[in-house]
Amino acid sequence: MSEIISKAGLRELAKEWIAQGKVVAGPVQTKPGLVMYAKLASADEIVWEGFVRPANSVKEFVFPRHELLCTYKMEGNRVELANDGAEIPAQILLAVRPCDAAAFPILDHVFNWDCRDELYNRRREATTVIALACESHDESCFCTSVGLSPQAERGSDVMLFDLGEEYEVRSLTDKGRALFAGKAQPSERTAPTYMGPDPRFNPEQVKQFVDGQFTSPYWQEATLACLGCGACAYNCPTCHCFDIVDEGNSQHGKRVRNWDSCQFGQFTLHASGHNPRPDQGSRQRQRVLHKFSIYPEKFGEILCTGCGNCTRNCPEGQGMLTLLTGIEHA
Amino acid sequence: MSEASQFEPKIVAYVCNWCTYLGADLAGTTRLEYPANVRIIRLPCTGRIDFNLLIKAFEIGADAVLVSGCHPGDCHYTAGNYHARRRWILFRELLDSLGFDLRRIHFTWISAAEGRKWQEAVTRITEETRKLGPYRELYQKNGFRRPNAPPPPKPPAPAKNNAAAQEQQLRETCARLLSEGTVQVVIGYGVGGPVFVRRAEDAAKLVWNADCQANLTTYLKRKEIKRLGKAAVVVKGCDERGLVILEKESQIDRQTLRVIGMACDGMGQPKCDTCTVHQPRFADEIMGQAGAAPSEATRAGALDALMQLSPAERMSFWAHEFERCVKCYACRQVCPLCYCERCIADKNRPVTIDTSATPKGNFAWHITRAFHLAGRCVGCGECTRACPAGIPLGLLNLSLARAAEKHFGYQAGMDPKAEPLIGTYALTDKEEFIR
Amino acid sequence: MPDIYTPDLMEVVNVRKQTPDVKSVRIQFQNKARASQFDFRVGQFGIFSAFGSGESTFNICSSSNWKDSLEFCFRKVGRVTEALWRVEEGDTIGFRGPYGNGYPVEKWEGKNLIFLGGGIAMPPIRCAVWYALENREKYGNITVVYGARTVADLVYVDELAEWAKRDRVRVIQCVDPGGQTSDWKGEVGFVPTVFERAKVAAENSVALVIGPPIMIKNTLPVLEKLGMGPDSIYTSLENRMKCGVGKCGRCNAGPVYVCKEGPVFTMEQLQKLPQDY
Repeated sequence: MSEIISKAGLRELAKEWIAQGKVVAGPVQTKPGLVMYAKLASADEIVWEGFVRPANSVKEFVFPRHELLCTYKMEGNRVELANDGAEIPAQILLAVRPCDAAAFPILDHVFNWDCRDELYNRRREATTVIALACESHDESCFCTSVGLSPQAERGSDVMLFDLGEEYEVRSLTDKGRALFAGKAQPSERTAPTYMGPDPRFNPEQVKQFVDGQFTSPYWQEATLACLGCGACAYNCPTCHCFDIVDEGNSQHGKRVRNWDSCQFGQFTLHASGHNPRPDQGSRQRQRVLHKFSIYPEKFGEILCTGCGNCTRNCPEGQGMLTLLTGIEHA
Repeated sequence: MSEASQFEPKIVAYVCNWCTYLGADLAGTTRLEYPANVRIIRLPCTGRIDFNLLIKAFEIGADAVLVSGCHPGDCHYTAGNYHARRRWILFRELLDSLGFDLRRIHFTWISAAEGRKWQEAVTRITEETRKLGPYRELYQKNGFRRPNAPPPPKPPAPAKNNAAAQEQQLRETCARLLSEGTVQVVIGYGVGGPVFVRRAEDAAKLVWNADCQANLTTYLKRKEIKRLGKAAVVVKGCDERGLVILEKESQIDRQTLRVIGMACDGMGQPKCDTCTVHQPRFADEIMGQAGAAPSEATRAGALDALMQLSPAERMSFWAHEFERCVKCYACRQVCPLCYCERCIADKNRPVTIDTSATPKGNFAWHITRAFHLAGRCVGCGECTRACPAGIPLGLLNLSLARAAEKHFGYQAGMDPKAEPLIGTYALTDKEEFIR
Repeated sequence: MPDIYTPDLMEVVNVRKQTPDVKSVRIQFQNKARASQFDFRVGQFGIFSAFGSGESTFNICSSSNWKDSLEFCFRKVGRVTEALWRVEEGDTIGFRGPYGNGYPVEKWEGKNLIFLGGGIAMPPIRCAVWYALENREKYGNITVVYGARTVADLVYVDELAEWAKRDRVRVIQCVDPGGQTSDWKGEVGFVPTVFERAKVAAENSVALVIGPPIMIKNTLPVLEKLGMGPDSIYTSLENRMKCGVGKCGRCNAGPVYVCKEGPVFTMEQLQKLPQDY
């Protein structure tokens, strides 16, 4: 037995959530041909269909691009520190793609192993993820290559399936059930299975290659077109590298963390001038290594959900997929 | 009591050490009274006042900024103020297109003998700013929820009658250049992105179609590509203009670089609307013949629409756009003219641009990026095309390009003999905005 | 609740200019309760900060037996170190840590210790030397070979002299050819050659080699010739770090996070890692 909710009903529900003061975010038509996840001012802004996936990742609502760590105030030689005590409002991420939702449980590992990152966790706990199963894919999609699918439930509190006039509602967690309790009706209808793209590569083979062929000329050769921007990493649902910087003056200011990317030359530059990753080949290799070897070894999971955003956002049409599928012939 | 009567504006004055500072000093020693609203910052010469300083003053709460130096002809360093004047002409236009309130930005020439002029200028600026009130619009969205509806999507690129022939010619030429050993690598378009062809038999990997949007000359700055040896690069008319600048700035050796020019009727990209050169002119080999470039109206349409808004609305427009900027620096990396070994955005002594992707950090970055390309940007539009967040960055460059044309009759990358716009000056440069 | 990125506030209790561009700074916890809980292992590192300028990673170069204060040593090369250069006694700076694994000092017990250091690599050796001297009965002979480019670049020279007076300790100082002064009494030459000339007996020894990559590279064959295996040669990596707690993603050398699994590695471990450091 499944549950359904009418599309109009869901829109009303979203309006209710916004009225309750919850932060609701979802895919918005930023401009023609560009859909991005954004905070909704009104439930009408959300676009439900007609696109494969937003150009950015929804991770920003849990791991923002810019986050306050603490503020400092200096008086004479005394310093006073204060943490951001601001309450994180409950937030609902609506119509999220399964490849974005799946990133959260993957990211949970790194922000909780060894020591807990409170900044991440407090946002994560305040967040409910309502995913919308995919009904189409494009040539950049490769979720099926990394063990996910267009209907993967991983990381979602609720999963929606388009049934035409209604959505099938699969509440997967207590958080999700609480949101839809009394709002969805029981129904016999259930969405057909959508298979998505055929697998494009074997992640195990990628791991073997990056571990075993660390010095292969492939890394240089296959990444010549990379210009070293962070468009792939910043729009990736699982990339989580960050930088810590101070902003302010000698009296007061703040310490913040900002997204950073392994594709930037300065990422690993030592004070001595030595750079362990002096060129784009070694930086791209690092990205593959982190996603397909280091992370799986440490946490048992691939640090990639196959969303394809790296390719879609690459100014030169490169991205993970090109690099990974090329390994087979390397 | 009204706010205007309570409000004491904060004014930051950047003055040169040799004239205006002494003028202000003279005003003091001769007991000329002027409002205490001005904070004087003394710098060696107006020619060395970084435009970022003007922005910084506003960021930390200035309601108006004054820049003042020696009269033309009186510069202690001969020509610093001439260089400054030329830069301000352009910088004001950039700030205008960003929606800065130009009534809050003042320029004067005040000599060491003009204590009274200093008194008058500061009094006037204080009074004017008092009337304007505090500068609250800076980087604000001001309730303009979303900017004007963007233009409808463009129809796809017109089919090129001669594309297949051009492609064939391209492959043959490149195969020849490689087999003769004239070059070791051809930087060209392939299926799915740029290719770096090093063997004559791989020349068939080169393609010429509507996907050939990238400006490949940006690869000439990459050390990974320089390592491959002497290069040939495939360019369109727009890309080719950049080579003119790169040569002028000693970034390429035109004697060893082979340039293969492809006639192009536009790739159906928004950037192609503002393109003026469809036919390559200086390339070593030119393939095909292009039709006419878009009309001026098409070219400037988006910028005209922006400039019809009020300054506050323009600032709101950009605040909305920059809100999506995550500082991935794709705009910088794709730009063939952004070739600095270490970008000012990556330097931290001092921090000129906050690394954070906040309104402050984003405005500072995009202002800097645009102005470092003043008089240099050739309008290839790669910044706009590359931006994952769809920010129309090219509009800022276009506003500067138009200013260069309007004030100096200068078009970057059109005339190989033309001297660079920034770094030179003319005694006749207009200064009606300097009082 | 303070998060993992909020530093402890530390009072600067002593600043010493070691060379024209190197200073050592001794600090104390302002929060006394925190001070009493604090413990670390020699070889661990901390993240030190000058508020307004940012954070930087340095080895904690004091011995873990010194309960009242911590010390770190840095060369003035960037934004943060320039700000730290300006701190004076009584000023407040930030500290997070200790991080990393530290030296396996228990495993080294009963062995002879060979310390080879170059330039600014003295601080991470210094903490180990003091630790060994303070637990003198647990360790055999101690040999320290320390070199710098010029005489003026040697750090902790007074302590080198102090160690040399101790029982079963041999200290050899050297400077690069051309870096000596007229009254220089130490050796002239590079660390690997000076060490080879010194003919140190290497039986039952462990070596800690820290310095520029070229020094380490040239020292390894000398140690090998003396019969030392890669499992008894240690070094400390200095990859760029930001968080120190295995999250920010930049310090990895191949599959290992240097901030968590390092910075101390044996050569045997490093040989298994890809060239990524």
